[in-house]
Amino acid sequence: MTQQLDAPVETARGVLEAEVGRACAGLADAEPGRVLAAVRGTDAATDVAGLREQAIGEAAALVAVEPAYSRVAARLLNAHIAEEAASQGVRTFAESAAAAHREGLMADAPAAFVAANADALNALVDESADDRFEYFGLRTVYDRYLWRHPRTRRVLERPQFFLMRVAVGLAETVDDVRELYGLLSTLSYLPSSPTLFNSAARRSQLSSCFLLDAPRDELESIYERYAQVARLSKYAGGIGVSWTRVRSRGSLIQGTNGLSNGIVPWLRTLDSSVAAVNQGGRRKGAACVYLEPWHADVEEFLELRDNTGEDARRTHNLNLANWIPDEFMRRVERDEDWSLFDPKVTPELTDLYGDDFDRAYRAAEAAGKAVRTISARRLYGRMMRTLAETGNGWMTFKDISNRACNQTAEKGNVVHLSNLCTEILEVTSDGETAVCNLGSINLGAHVLPGGTVDWERLRATVRTAVRFLDRTIDRGFYPTGEAEKANKKWRPMGLGVMGLADVFFKLRLPFDSDEARTLSTRIAEEISLAAYGASADLAEAHGPHPAYDQTRTARGQLHIDHFPDAAITRPDAWDALRARVARTGLRNSLLIAVAPTATIASIAGCYECIEPQVSNLFKRETLSGEFLQINQYLVRDLKAEGLWLPEVREAIKRANGSVQGLADLPDDVRVLYRTAWELPQKALIDLAAARTPFIDQSQSLNLFMETPTIGKLSSMYAYAWRSGVKTTYYLRSRPATRIAQTTVSATEAVICSLENPETCEACQ
Amino acid sequence: MLLDPGMDLTLRPMRYPDFYERYRAAIRNTWTVEEVDLASDLADLARLTPEELHLVNRLVAFFATGDSIVANNLVLNLYKHVNAPEARLYLSRQLFEEAVHVQFYLTLLDTYLPDHDERVKAFAAIEHIPSIRAKAEFCFRWIDSIGKLDELTTRDDRRAFLLNLICFAACIEGLFFYGAFAYVYWLRSRGLLNGLASGTNWVFRDESMHMEFAFSVVDTVRAEEPDLFDADLTASVTRMIEEAVEAELAFARDLCGDGMPGMSADDMRRYLEYVADQRLTRLGLPARYGTANPFAFMELQDVQELSNFFERRVSAYQIGVEGSVAFDESF
Repeated sequence: MTQQLDAPVETARGVLEAEVGRACAGLADAEPGRVLAAVRGTDAATDVAGLREQAIGEAAALVAVEPAYSRVAARLLNAHIAEEAASQGVRTFAESAAAAHREGLMADAPAAFVAANADALNALVDESADDRFEYFGLRTVYDRYLWRHPRTRRVLERPQFFLMRVAVGLAETVDDVRELYGLLSTLSYLPSSPTLFNSAARRSQLSSCFLLDAPRDELESIYERYAQVARLSKYAGGIGVSWTRVRSRGSLIQGTNGLSNGIVPWLRTLDSSVAAVNQGGRRKGAACVYLEPWHADVEEFLELRDNTGEDARRTHNLNLANWIPDEFMRRVERDEDWSLFDPKVTPELTDLYGDDFDRAYRAAEAAGKAVRTISARRLYGRMMRTLAETGNGWMTFKDISNRACNQTAEKGNVVHLSNLCTEILEVTSDGETAVCNLGSINLGAHVLPGGTVDWERLRATVRTAVRFLDRTIDRGFYPTGEAEKANKKWRPMGLGVMGLADVFFKLRLPFDSDEARTLSTRIAEEISLAAYGASADLAEAHGPHPAYDQTRTARGQLHIDHFPDAAITRPDAWDALRARVARTGLRNSLLIAVAPTATIASIAGCYECIEPQVSNLFKRETLSGEFLQINQYLVRDLKAEGLWLPEVREAIKRANGSVQGLADLPDDVRVLYRTAWELPQKALIDLAAARTPFIDQSQSLNLFMETPTIGKLSSMYAYAWRSGVKTTYYLRSRPATRIAQTTVSATEAVICSLENPETCEACQ
Repeated sequence: MLLDPGMDLTLRPMRYPDFYERYRAAIRNTWTVEEVDLASDLADLARLTPEELHLVNRLVAFFATGDSIVANNLVLNLYKHVNAPEARLYLSRQLFEEAVHVQFYLTLLDTYLPDHDERVKAFAAIEHIPSIRAKAEFCFRWIDSIGKLDELTTRDDRRAFLLNLICFAACIEGLFFYGAFAYVYWLRSRGLLNGLASGTNWVFRDESMHMEFAFSVVDTVRAEEPDLFDADLTASVTRMIEEAVEAELAFARDLCGDGMPGMSADDMRRYLEYVADQRLTRLGLPARYGTANPFAFMELQDVQELSNFFERRVSAYQIGVEGSVAFDESF
């Protein structure tokens, strides 16, 4: 052993024992002894940090038994973070900013701002806010978000310094910082990951999504798109790119008198390019390719993610989405034929939607331009198969997405695709790459103790969020000229939500109840009203966005006007808004989009966006390890019923996180805690459809089916289309078989099988 | 009866529909090695301590031959004697899965060990690393135990066959592999070698199905010929499992040395005893050790995953989906 030990085992353990004691303080159900029991001092781990690491792991594992240990693990981790930051000379926010500036991470302007206001900013930091983090959230912050020294890789930020830095990057005054940090530190609102990563950075790429129109049907344009995609990916953006304009297989290449191999080889190259770009070491690049179903290569496109077949025709990293005109769905319903075209022959189809598309499509058919004609249902069935087998091949609807889009008032302004997560709908063209800056309100943090939504606070949060999302448009660094041009012209944003399921749990509303749907719609309406009001405020102060004249709003048409059946509860407020906007215009062409919030919901410790819970007990696998997540609302109810017992926990685990087999549970509790697999998917679609009038972009709507069949899927997606949902996202399904559970007793598992429900002890 | 000598070809009426369902479920879980991304593992390997690196090297050296041994026994011994076409369908499918596993570990070693000499050494581990050699010899002994049997004509033949079947299910797939997976998940719990872990998720899923199939064959034979299951067989099985625990424990001592935080030979002993008890219980035999599971991270493996698609590929999809387009089904 070359290294001197810091302290003898006993002393290091003593330090840790005191620390674990503090970490359990105020948590009635957490016992320090249980955490410490598993901490063993081997020769390799006699320092406090090593022992603490074990204690953190143990506390995290105990979450399955008692959720309070999540806080214990978080507090221990926080002690570790504070120690690590201190080792880099960081004890205050001002020191953190100075260190980040010194190491070339922070830009000059925010560094100067912090230096000039050091005392005032240090005083804003609320250290006690750290206690709001659950373990998984804090772990995510530590592993991925805190800025690190470029060489030592030690953190230069503590969690609150990180949130302060994000606020400073978007602020002009100390009051600005106070206002935004107030939302962040209470986890009431979080901007998207790129903003959290890069706010106040030298290269402050703050946008989440980029949407690129299809390359022109020529070699140079295709390679130019690869380069744009790579530059945008590098700075943590997710990419949507259409490929509909590129000629199909067998099309003549005039320059060489050869025949084209179609789109698949190009997408292979895109696939490799996307995988090669590592987003600052934080995550791999990700892209989604959109194709319209009249493209003659559509069947090969749908096979790109299959894990069987020739690997030279597969793209394992790309996501796939169908950009579907209504005409296709109508023909599926009527069981008619569907014609496939080479876009080189019918280039006009890409830039048309609605009636214009229908006419042009039929004219092309009548002119005999089709490459091939197939049964519309056969192709639709193939799409469903792709969804079931890969979760990919998202169904997004071209016509409603264009008809209701504020940016498409003028002919030639066309939405050609959605983005990586199917919630952004913006106009693109060869020279314009659509951009979106995102942020999400944590709805669960806006419920009053009595069980009602705090509407006033929700509106205030929206106003602040809109103001700072608008600021990201000006503060952001744009990796390409096409992106900057579009973003400054349209100034779109995507304000979304997370934690809708938390609201329902707090108010005890089953996800598929009428009350839940009414409340969810009302929330969408309030957010929409407040967001438009805030954008009108900004327009009053700074003028409307440059392309305002090209919007439907400028012609007196608001998004809700496309939906005569919208459940409007505040008609007067809408009238007032309409009058005001007519006077001021809007600073932002689009305002609302519900993103999946995968990572930021983890940070905030809430359920993702508008989704039901996937399971009462599940693990998250991320780059930093596996983490158990348990429904804390359920645990509270089980404790109240005296049912939080080892055998009940085992039964939930054995049932893959379902409580439907727990006979002792009152019916209303069982109904409340159904999982996404147990809810009728019709309810998810109905909620999404009811909310649509208030969402001027779209929503990342995942659908869930335990064992998908073509029949169920085709019924479901046809229903979604008829309901007027603009886009859908993943189809989630479950593996056909799973690992035999290692830590559940072998005999009990047999007894509890569905064949013997009467002998199942756990269910009695 | 299932172990009657012969070559039954009759699928209808089907005598053992459960085997056929297992075959179909396995097909839906098809995965390919190309889907596993090992790239990030290389960076992790570079920052392992010498002790951790030793553990990983030994582990992959075991993986290099483990699945081939299982495949050989399947072909040489199991397929021959399990006389029902639907059971043989499953075994054919299992053989394919073993091949995928072999390919996975081949790709893994090729990726982890770019140096030619080291690679050759790792693939030859079975020759020169005693702790791996000992496990292999345990396997070979049981392969050979019925290698000469062309037909299971006597009760002793059938008992010998059952011991071979139980050995490969409970000791090799169900203990050696489960031990190996525990090291992978221990590393995973510390954020290391995600690529290995994601491939292991799929191997683990397959292996646990193989084990369940074998146990279900045992259950079937027990129902058909209860007298085969006497005290002798019980004693033999228990002894065999004890030997397997010992062999795996020697491997653990080799891997863990003086121990690392959260992983030591003693932790592993308790885990192996715990798993061994599970296997005995599943076979309807009394537990031998009464040890509790020491690895909290293994509990996580029993819980459904929810991946962030930005970070890892989702393994939760099925192939071979059925049905045709309809508009009136409930969803």
